[in-house]
Amino acid sequence: MAIKVDYVVRETAANLTRNITLTLASVLTVVVSLTLFGSAFMLNQGVNNANDRFKGGIEFIVYLQPDASQEVIDSIGKSLRENPDVERADFVNKDETLVEFRRLFKDSRQLLESITADILPPSFRVAPKTQDPDVVQAIGDIYRQKAGVYDVIFAFEVVKRIQETFNKIGVRFLVASALLLLAALLLILNTIRVAMFARRREIEVMKLVGATNWFIRVPFIVEGIIQTLIGAGVAVLAMTFVIRPFIDELSQDRVLPIFQGFVVTDANLLFTNLLVVAVAVLIGAIGSAVAVSRFLDV
Amino acid sequence: MIKLENVSKIYKGDVVALQDASVEVEKGEFVFLVGASGSGKSTFLRLVNKEESPEQGRIYVAGKDIAALSAWKIPYLRRNIGSVFQDFKLLTNKTVYENVAFALEVIGRPRHVVKTQVPAILELVGLGKKMGNFPNELSGGEQQRVSIARAFVNRPLILLADEPTGNLDPATSVGIMRLLDRINRTGTTVLMATHDRSIVDTMRRRVIELDRGSIIRDQSRGVYE
Repeated sequence: MAIKVDYVVRETAANLTRNITLTLASVLTVVVSLTLFGSAFMLNQGVNNANDRFKGGIEFIVYLQPDASQEVIDSIGKSLRENPDVERADFVNKDETLVEFRRLFKDSRQLLESITADILPPSFRVAPKTQDPDVVQAIGDIYRQKAGVYDVIFAFEVVKRIQETFNKIGVRFLVASALLLLAALLLILNTIRVAMFARRREIEVMKLVGATNWFIRVPFIVEGIIQTLIGAGVAVLAMTFVIRPFIDELSQDRVLPIFQGFVVTDANLLFTNLLVVAVAVLIGAIGSAVAVSRFLDV
Repeated sequence: MIKLENVSKIYKGDVVALQDASVEVEKGEFVFLVGASGSGKSTFLRLVNKEESPEQGRIYVAGKDIAALSAWKIPYLRRNIGSVFQDFKLLTNKTVYENVAFALEVIGRPRHVVKTQVPAILELVGLGKKMGNFPNELSGGEQQRVSIARAFVNRPLILLADEPTGNLDPATSVGIMRLLDRINRTGTTVLMATHDRSIVDTMRRRVIELDRGSIIRDQSRGVYE
């Protein structure tokens, strides 16, 4: 049997406004929980972006002076490859650096326009045989002294600290958002329950005259999903216009170098937002489905 | 039309509502269910539209064994059964017209059907002029007419009435019984549980008497006692 759209719209609208305070409570809980959830997720993606350089056992990077001559580059490369403690040393030239730079900073158009391959430092990505931080530090420090070397950046310094810090933050955010999502789910369950209680006489009559279960249930389930969708809408706005600019600001902060290279791309943001909407629909559907199946027996 | 075979219904705590009841009601019959409170009259009616399921026995409605009916098919069974109650069960926030239209809308009847059927049935029960009134603006008898209109608007095969005159004075009750009689004459099977001695004695229809869950009398053209 077809369920008429105008019937569902009318019933759902009436339910949402009848219980405005409870509806508001669930919507606000959804907003807070989803914003937290989305932020944790976005931070995690930022960390992954920042750590891209250090994939595949790379423990430190030797950045050369942008104007280093080919002889200097060759000699450092030779020295690295001949070092018994070094497993692998990959050379990344200026053009490749530019490609990577473009990917990391692809949202900062002004920055990209001012950068050319010339001014970027070529580098060696070094994978030592050991991962012991002290040994790695010792090897790296040797190269820091050499002529033509601009700087040596260690993975354990940057990556591990970033990862540890943000894993801690991320886990706490996720736990908090999971608890809040649960609270949102229970609130929605109860909102729907109250809505059904308010309409128990209608429901009784509907059952009596032979309305199908789904005909009775659908407006309530739609109500639950609409509540979480409104919440998700606000959360998406918050993430796009508050959280993301905040992360961008942090990444440009010179005082907190830990955030350098910490970028959230448009694709990351879009993915996060889509995920938030999907989670919202899921929470609304589960909350209201549990409510109707538990409190709406034939 | 309705057939019970050795039906028993026991509620929690060993309360026997119906005990080994076997009875058959033909299409178009008008049957009174009489007996003291708690004798099983309401349970009998609730078993027929599957608000309850029996512990034992078989129940056939329109040739189908409804004990074996899966949950999702119950609504379709109920579309063939109208129900009328002592307390009317009208929706107070809807007008007379809307109350009756509601019964058609929620089973997905098209709008043009609703628009023609509802005024016709309200005319039939004598409330053609009160379609825009709310239930609390009507007398008890009028409210029961609305509830009968709602039960009958879908032209069900069976009409179940649980003490439909229980809240009404004798004069009003006579009017309601005339209406139920008229509905019965269209071929609808009517099953009515009642305490109203004078109604049963005047109408002289089939009487089934229940006592503590057992059928103790089944009499055509019977009286209350």
